[in-house]
Amino acid sequence: MDCDVVNNMNAATRRTKEDKKVLKKQQKASHTLLKHEGISTTPQPTKSLVVANGGLGNGVSREDLFAAVKQFGDVESLLMPPQKPYAFVTYRFEDGARKAHAQLNGQKLQSGENSVTFYLSYVDSAKHREEALVGFPEGLTLVEDFVSLEEEALLLAAVDWSTSNEAQKALKHRRVKHYGFEFRYDNNNVDKDKPLPAGLPDECLRVLQRCLQDGLINVLPDQLTVNQYESGQGIPPHVDTHSAFEDTILSLSLGAKAVMEFRHPDGRAVPVVLPERSLLVMKGESRYLWTHGITPRKFDLVPACEPDVGSNSGLTLSKRGTRTSFTFRKIRYEPCCCAFPSACDSQEGTSPYPSPSPSLPRCHADATLLEEEYVHRVYDAIASHFSRTRHTPWPQVCHFLSSLPPGSVLVDVGCGNGKYLGVNPQLITVGCDRSSALVQICAERGFQVFVSDALSVPLRTASCDACISIAVIHHFSTLKRRLAAVRELVRLLKPGGQALIYVWAYEQEYNKQKSKYLKDHDKQHNEEKSKDTPEESQESHEEPSVFITSHVERDVKDASKMTEGRLSVHTNRTAFNSQDLLVPWHLKGRKTHGEEESSGRFSSRGEPSPDLDSSMSSDTTNSPDSKCSPSDNLSQIPGGSSVPVFHRYYHVFQQGELEQLCTQATGIKVQHSYYDQGNWCVVLQKE
Amino acid sequence: MIPKLEWSALVQAADQLGHREDLPGELVPDYEKNEDFLKKVHRVLLEVEVIEGSLQCPESGREFPISKGIPNMLLNEDEA
Repeated sequence: MDCDVVNNMNAATRRTKEDKKVLKKQQKASHTLLKHEGISTTPQPTKSLVVANGGLGNGVSREDLFAAVKQFGDVESLLMPPQKPYAFVTYRFEDGARKAHAQLNGQKLQSGENSVTFYLSYVDSAKHREEALVGFPEGLTLVEDFVSLEEEALLLAAVDWSTSNEAQKALKHRRVKHYGFEFRYDNNNVDKDKPLPAGLPDECLRVLQRCLQDGLINVLPDQLTVNQYESGQGIPPHVDTHSAFEDTILSLSLGAKAVMEFRHPDGRAVPVVLPERSLLVMKGESRYLWTHGITPRKFDLVPACEPDVGSNSGLTLSKRGTRTSFTFRKIRYEPCCCAFPSACDSQEGTSPYPSPSPSLPRCHADATLLEEEYVHRVYDAIASHFSRTRHTPWPQVCHFLSSLPPGSVLVDVGCGNGKYLGVNPQLITVGCDRSSALVQICAERGFQVFVSDALSVPLRTASCDACISIAVIHHFSTLKRRLAAVRELVRLLKPGGQALIYVWAYEQEYNKQKSKYLKDHDKQHNEEKSKDTPEESQESHEEPSVFITSHVERDVKDASKMTEGRLSVHTNRTAFNSQDLLVPWHLKGRKTHGEEESSGRFSSRGEPSPDLDSSMSSDTTNSPDSKCSPSDNLSQIPGGSSVPVFHRYYHVFQQGELEQLCTQATGIKVQHSYYDQGNWCVVLQKE
Repeated sequence: MIPKLEWSALVQAADQLGHREDLPGELVPDYEKNEDFLKKVHRVLLEVEVIEGSLQCPESGREFPISKGIPNMLLNEDEA
């Protein structure tokens, strides 16, 4: 073929490929914006564009962004929310937006030292203009100018601070005074049987009547808390105790304005400016689920002027003055039966975050909190001890690794202490783990590793010939996250590449053969043992000397019912009675000898293990494990030292569950599915 | 191994570290037999190690720190 024609064809193909890439990235940016910021983009052209990577959070200055966008038409407004990785530009005419989109999408901009790539999408003009209201907590209303200047002065004068707390003053805390009922800060509740002698101040009556008339409340409040915040004072984020107060809570801001932050459990944060003499009405979700708080600050960032006027809309620093809030509430006498049980002390126990006794997460934010507390923090704390007990690679995993062609690129996602990274030196192996402490151990062994989340591995799509993920996915606390982990592995694979996944099995007895994990259970006591898990039960080929005499056979349905409530603490070396649980780990320091290099389960080799019963032949700690003990518990061993106990969250898989999970990730075929010493295992291949 | 590399990315990284030396910008033809070239690749791949530094995303500008030879690629909650 003619050279030029070929070149042109190649150039055209390259352009289309480039275009496709840009489009893909634009879509990804769009999706992220929606997910995290509640910003929805629209395919239809409008006057407004969101510029992903064009925000103050990307280090892009206002001047540079303005210079980039102004050439396409008259710019009506340029909005750059602080610390955000995006900005909004609204043109006077749609034509300007169209031109900007065509020219700037996928383009690089040099701003100072940074080079960023813009991705532009259209946004609904009307919606984005009310940016302050987008994502406004449900049930929240702000009524401005609710009281007059005279009323404000009267109310402020009505509070007699002379009896205020000396300790408070000394600690530079905000000043607090209660009327009607005393609010107790030790249990965040009210003494309902001990009303205060003085009711609410008379001066408040007019304001409350107005609230009734305006239909903001149906019943007159009977409790008032007055908070006075000087510049630099605040109040930590909290939800007003459900069982103490009824639904609607009113808060009147006097003396100065402030910014109150509302946070949803899913991570959304909305700052709300409370002007002087405004009334904040919290109902429903905003009262029961979102936390609210005031960051101790001397200056707040507030809008400089109305967002839809002029092209210089921006933010300005507002110095805080002394703000006094009057919070009116109605005492609740019946238990709370709201629609937000996760935050409700009447329905579920203590407040959601952080929870001493965790329950199965209902949303992404809960899941990350749970995993942070019961997986990541634990591994970082136990890393060296954990590593010492993980030294023998499992034969079946080694077989998989050895069967890979030399020169294959392998990634071990959740590599732990690097046990598998050196098994086949002919591979190009890279490992990653969520725990810096464990990754550090791998690096010391000379492996190529980095710290990363298994849901977000920073390797190019289709860059790996093979992946392994051994004893990792069972630490994700929701189905969605487990599936996301599998999908991420699939993403990394080249077509034809294979992944090996191991997860802890619910069924510790399979084909009438008990796993070593169960076999090592002492037949005399149902007590706490060493933290050995099936992950290391392939240590040696010795025959275990102790057999469990009885086991609990569990109906599978029971197990799933239990997942709705609180997570229970598992007793090591017994059968699982739930799929979601906390598994204890008894941390041992270097001083205890005889624990390494041994299978750790058999008769103590010089190890000073205090036994409850001298006839017991197993080693290590025999401390009784209390149910639902929080992490970092110090467990008392009879006769001796206390040992810190950590709890790790696991979701143990039932037969077929891992396979099913994998098939939900499209574009793969399950090649091989088997049971290996207490684990369910799958080899999948990317199509 | 070389076919598995994104060559331009390797060259750019080496360049930014100031360790590129005479590594060519494009793969030389018949590189498998070119001893000289293979030595250069070996040096860059296996003998240059970033101990302290950072990786920067070319699109968002976000920096990921490298400490003790280990990159920390964790995203914040609001970035994932």
